[in-house]
Amino acid sequence: MPENSNVTFDLECRQVTKSFGDFTAVDQVSFQIPTGSFFSILGPSGCGKTTLLRMLAGFQHPDKGEILIKGKSVLGTPPNRRPVNMVFQHLALFPTMSVTGNIAYGLKRRNVKREEIRTRVADVLKRVDLPDAGDKRIDQLSGGQKQRIAIARCLVLKPDVLLLDEPLGALDLKLREQMKVELKLLQETFGTTFIYITHDQSEALVMSDQVAVMNQGRFEQVGTPQELYYHPETSFVAGFVGDSNRWEGHIDAIEGERIQIKTVEGESFVGRSIVKHQLKKGDSVEVYVRPESVNIENPKNRSDLPNQCRGEVISVLFDGARSQFLIRLPQTEGEISVAMPQTGEHAQLRKGDSINIAWAADQCLCFRRSSGNHDG
Amino acid sequence: MDKSSYTRFSLWILLLPFVLWLLLLILLPHVDMVSISLRERVSARNYTFSFKNYTEFFIEPLYWRTFVRTAWMSVLATLITLLIAFPVSYYIAKMMRGRLKALLFILCLIPFWVSELVRTYGWMILLRETGLLSTFLQWIGLSDQPVEMLYNDVAIMIGLVYTSMLFMVVPLVTTLDSLDDSLIEAGYDLGGSNWNVLTEIIIPHAMPGIVSGCIVVFMLSLGNYLTPILLGGKDSLWFTEQIFTQFITRFNWEQGSAFGILLLILSSLIVWAGLKLSRQSFTNVMS
Amino acid sequence: MRRSFKKLFIAMLAVALVAVVSPVEAETLRLLTWGGYAPKEVIEQFEKETGIEVKMTKSNNEDMISKLKATGGSGFDLAQPSQDRITSAQADFDIYKPIDLSKIDASQIIPSMLAATKKNTSLDGKVYGVPHVWGTSGLVVNRKMAGQIKDYVDLCGPGLTGKVTYRLKRPTLIGFAFSMGEDPFAAYSDKAKYEMILDKVEKKLIDCKPNVKAYWSGGDAMLNLMRSGEAVAAMAWDAGGWKLNKDMADITFVAPKSGALGWIDTFALPRKTKAEEAAYKWINFVMRPEIAGKITSSAGNFTAAKGGDQYVADKLKAQFQESFPPADVDNIKWYPPVPPGLEEIEGKVLDRVKAAQ
Ligand SMILES: Nc1ncnc2c1ncn2[C@@H]1O[C@H](COP(=O)(O)OP(=O)(O)O)[C@@H](O)[C@H]1O
Ligand SMILES: [Mg+2]
Repeated sequence: MPENSNVTFDLECRQVTKSFGDFTAVDQVSFQIPTGSFFSILGPSGCGKTTLLRMLAGFQHPDKGEILIKGKSVLGTPPNRRPVNMVFQHLALFPTMSVTGNIAYGLKRRNVKREEIRTRVADVLKRVDLPDAGDKRIDQLSGGQKQRIAIARCLVLKPDVLLLDEPLGALDLKLREQMKVELKLLQETFGTTFIYITHDQSEALVMSDQVAVMNQGRFEQVGTPQELYYHPETSFVAGFVGDSNRWEGHIDAIEGERIQIKTVEGESFVGRSIVKHQLKKGDSVEVYVRPESVNIENPKNRSDLPNQCRGEVISVLFDGARSQFLIRLPQTEGEISVAMPQTGEHAQLRKGDSINIAWAADQCLCFRRSSGNHDG
Repeated sequence: MDKSSYTRFSLWILLLPFVLWLLLLILLPHVDMVSISLRERVSARNYTFSFKNYTEFFIEPLYWRTFVRTAWMSVLATLITLLIAFPVSYYIAKMMRGRLKALLFILCLIPFWVSELVRTYGWMILLRETGLLSTFLQWIGLSDQPVEMLYNDVAIMIGLVYTSMLFMVVPLVTTLDSLDDSLIEAGYDLGGSNWNVLTEIIIPHAMPGIVSGCIVVFMLSLGNYLTPILLGGKDSLWFTEQIFTQFITRFNWEQGSAFGILLLILSSLIVWAGLKLSRQSFTNVMS
Repeated sequence: MRRSFKKLFIAMLAVALVAVVSPVEAETLRLLTWGGYAPKEVIEQFEKETGIEVKMTKSNNEDMISKLKATGGSGFDLAQPSQDRITSAQADFDIYKPIDLSKIDASQIIPSMLAATKKNTSLDGKVYGVPHVWGTSGLVVNRKMAGQIKDYVDLCGPGLTGKVTYRLKRPTLIGFAFSMGEDPFAAYSDKAKYEMILDKVEKKLIDCKPNVKAYWSGGDAMLNLMRSGEAVAAMAWDAGGWKLNKDMADITFVAPKSGALGWIDTFALPRKTKAEEAAYKWINFVMRPEIAGKITSSAGNFTAAKGGDQYVADKLKAQFQESFPPADVDNIKWYPPVPPGLEEIEGKVLDRVKAAQ
């Protein structure tokens, strides 16, 4: 084994770059995935997720950089010899074969004995909870069953890493919710490392141990779902993961971690800066506040939170657990979404009511405003 | 009239033109052919019912052999066409994109803008002793005297394959086009070699196209007249030529009809056997 | 779908109507003939003189019989089969109509030819043909490259591998039979004898196969093979040989030692002719000496028209004399009518020759 024999990374990318002509689809991406974890890559459509995944699978060759699986470079290894398998966006089950044929395909390629193929196929079918599906044709399966067969077809080969390219994209909402949980359970029972790409933040947040947020070919931030949600490091992550109210403005004053912001509309907020952004007075910034971190104040018992506003309810957006009030701030005509507390408190608020809202400085995140280099 | 019989009635009305066409243009002439083939000339303008024209086919080794040879050469032509057309179609369907793809496809069509006769004469000009190829071979010094490449089975084969190419390429490109690229990639991803992917994924998917292309090419070759006659010359020995001869130069419509019916039956049998062998059903292939 | 069927149906109806209606419209003469027998110039002159439109279809003996057989003798108003092929076809298929000789201007026709044709085309006392163009078939030889060829069997001689061409048709069988010392015409009435002769010919032709470059079927194919030098000798019509001779002096028609085969193409009326009068008008028109001369120039063969050859170019006459010294003219074997049944035997022989490897 090479120098770093103590690694427990199943997969490592170093400065992987891929361009199509002038267009850089994947730009110096580096990451490491520990054995047995569920790693998601989350990003908007067209940000380069599929390209990255295809490089891992071997269908595309990086222009620069290094890909290591279990510590060994696989750049010279063609797709059919890489110890990774892929679940394709549209599953790519072979319609000319039965379910058994599909699952046995990879085993046959490895010259596994007939007897063993039979037991392994039966075993994996049992584990994906479809023990009797073996003789069915692919077109006799439902969407969710196909999903599981596509995963079983890969897992039966015991790959080091399983790559999944938005496999839930084609399913309807209800099934998608259900498959999210199932996928996570499957990953846990098989213990295989999953790399899952999606543009759906809820999929990424629910299933993953680690999530990388990708934008325009680059990784913006890699972290646990909680870190991404509560401690976004870039304005893109703050905006992309979860809902947020967003303002633009500039810095009026800095007192340690606390900074005073004046928005373009004229609001004054007290916020917190991300340490590595090293903001100075006068910098243009973006400010993010999550709807659920805004308190609706009880008029008799006001808090001492630094950001206090009075506004008028202009709309009640009822969506069960995700219900929100839309509130207008009268002095600037600006709007802000506020989560409806699930305790039933304030449920009587109606359109036109006036309320006080408040939030902590820590919940008010400031990022330097620019579209390009957030790290500099 | 209740509803279902009404819909059945209107269905029949809709089908009527088709049924008429089938009856008048396809079935009737064949019925006539069958009745002609079942009579034997006794003396001038005097005929009796007889199977002689059919038994003649099996008794006279010449006719039987000519048919076997025609069928065999047609099968061979079909296989060669398939072998050449498959990579070409794969290239057009899977490797090419956009305008280049259309261009390549058109390129395959071009030979069919001229008539079969002209196309065949084109090959004759190329292959004949005083033709282009022979002159070229002499010019580069590979041969010190004119080479005759016309009037043999190879020339017939070239002509048949050339004439058939389009009819193989079109169904193949269509089926291969409908093969999702991700299926091929999945084939590799799960550990398949080029050969595995070809035999386990691409060919099974293309099978309906392969079989329908093969049926068309086989029938076209079997029924071809000009190409074998012109390129094969003195040894062409094609069954359609035999039919033509019986009808046109022998005025023996009885024998000619019998040969025509036999050609229909035997070629259908061969196609049926081919379908059985490739485990395809006719409806599957033609849809 | 339905609409296109309707269109198709209407189109078919229209075609049928036109087919039914058109013949009565203008007087037309539908002529089924050989290439060169009705040159444009002659047709135009005829149309100007009579106002009858001529529609010409090029054909050959077998094709004429097939076409007329298929329609029971309709579709054409005048045909030109060879005299030996009329009676058997008439007996079997009833496709012709007797000629009314009173409508033919016999004074324009060479009497001996008229008499011979009348005799050869008579069936049950009725005459079915009058003579038009006559000629011979024999050998077309490239004298520089194959001067040794004097008779049909010489085509099978040594040193000619892949160098000769002939047709797989009955004239080939007859020619070979004569050159092998047999008299097939005399055996016409004796089927057994005839079959025996054909057996011999079959063997000869099979042995001869390596010498054959190709069995030609269209005259142009033969001319091409000879012109390009790919073939050095052919069995063909005299006119073809003379045509080649015009451009290439080495090639000419040679009357074979055993005798050239003489044929006469006739005029015959299809049974359901629709323009009988026009047909007689055409016959009498083309038999005028000056018209006959024009036809000879275009077809390359002489006609049965009296005095027709005085309008023929000297070149053709010279070629004729070169190919046919007086003794050879006398030696021409004229085809007698083919009795029914022979053609079937011949057909099988030809099939076997073709199939032999
Ligand atoms: N083969 C290719 N040639 C040119 N451009 C490509 C190719 N593949 C992908 N791209 C481009 O790269 C970008 C990223 O694509 P992709 O990786 O598929 O994004 P995602 O999967 O995140 O939606 C897109 O803008 C796409 O147009
Ligand atoms: Mg994608």
